[in-house]
Amino acid sequence: MSKLNKIAKKSTWVDMTAFVDVAFLILSFFMLATKFKPPEVVKIDNPKSVSSENQPEKDVFKVSFDKDGKVFVSFSSDKEGKEKAQLTAEVLSRQKGLGLTPAEISTFIKFSVGGIGVPVTQLKSFLALSDAEYKSFIQPGIPVQDTLNNQLNDYLNALLTGTGGRKPENVMLNGDNATKYPYFKNVLAAFKKNGIFSFKLITALEGIPAGTPLYKKRRDASK
Amino acid sequence: MSADVGAPEGGGHKKGPGVKKQARRDTKVDMTPMVDLGFLLITFFVFTTTMSTPKAFKLNVPDDTAKEEEKSEAKASGAFTVLLSKDNNVFFYEGQLASDGSNFKSSNFKEIRDEILKKKANTPEKDLVVIIKPDETSVYKNIVDMLDEMQIADIKRYAVVDIFPGEVELIKATQASRPPGGN
Repeated sequence: MSKLNKIAKKSTWVDMTAFVDVAFLILSFFMLATKFKPPEVVKIDNPKSVSSENQPEKDVFKVSFDKDGKVFVSFSSDKEGKEKAQLTAEVLSRQKGLGLTPAEISTFIKFSVGGIGVPVTQLKSFLALSDAEYKSFIQPGIPVQDTLNNQLNDYLNALLTGTGGRKPENVMLNGDNATKYPYFKNVLAAFKKNGIFSFKLITALEGIPAGTPLYKKRRDASK
Repeated sequence: MSADVGAPEGGGHKKGPGVKKQARRDTKVDMTPMVDLGFLLITFFVFTTTMSTPKAFKLNVPDDTAKEEEKSEAKASGAFTVLLSKDNNVFFYEGQLASDGSNFKSSNFKEIRDEILKKKANTPEKDLVVIIKPDETSVYKNIVDMLDEMQIADIKRYAVVDIFPGEVELIKATQASRPPGGN
């Protein structure tokens, strides 16, 4: 009994220094590892594949199509991407008689990072939007449904004419899981028509199923 | 002894009785708010970070305008045709489609891999070609999944080709005869 009474009142103070150390270590890890998602005008849910190659960042020309088959084009925000966006806008303006002003062309470059998805005829009015309006504007998508009026073709043609036939290093195709096949087919048709036969599909990573030939091949390669 | 110069501990005792010893301040700092803040920031970064970076899946398509002689001829016996339709339906047939549709079989994304591997095992490699025919109702995911199967099965030659009307009829007939929701 007397023993119990003798227990000294212990301080409830806990030394948190180590705790703080760990917390800030994790914090710095996430701060360095974080790369913010580039702004996207459409929500696209990519399919999965076993491909382990990382998505390239430089000199990218990307065609996205969402689940409703709306098609968008975008360029990377690096020097090559901007240059190609500018050339595309200039040629498109000349070929289609849009009469884009230099200011509108620079807007094209700016918007092209997030994605441009308007028919060629609406391009001029679309480029008059402000940044805030661009974010809330629901773009109708580049029309591709009609094989005779596949306007993605016009965009691609303008791009290749502008660069003198030099293809962007990375032609990416960013498709949604639920896009119907005809849209994909028409996008492919526009690529083929312009002589682009090699491109990359953006996918999410998936593990290689064990026991399959690819699995064996990778395992042998890593030995 | 050691080279302790002017160790201050000893000096305290020599102060006279009138000199008050300065109370030792507690150097402990309450770190709780700092921890709170730290974890708040961690939570923020954890949620905004995108750990799984998108991957690039290379795809080469044939040039339709290529001259006839440049096109690689597919032997009918080595062909394996996969048809894709709505609701992730998969159908397949080996070689050429029989006129009565007797070799037209129904499958799904799980079983088709075994069928492809079986075909691969008993076909000479130079003859093997997998033809993927998505119909109008199939979705992009099906096509990418199928292309992915080609990677998984390590198929060298495959092509995405437009579907024939006769095959569409067979798919429709099969889908109609099937109980709804069944796979």
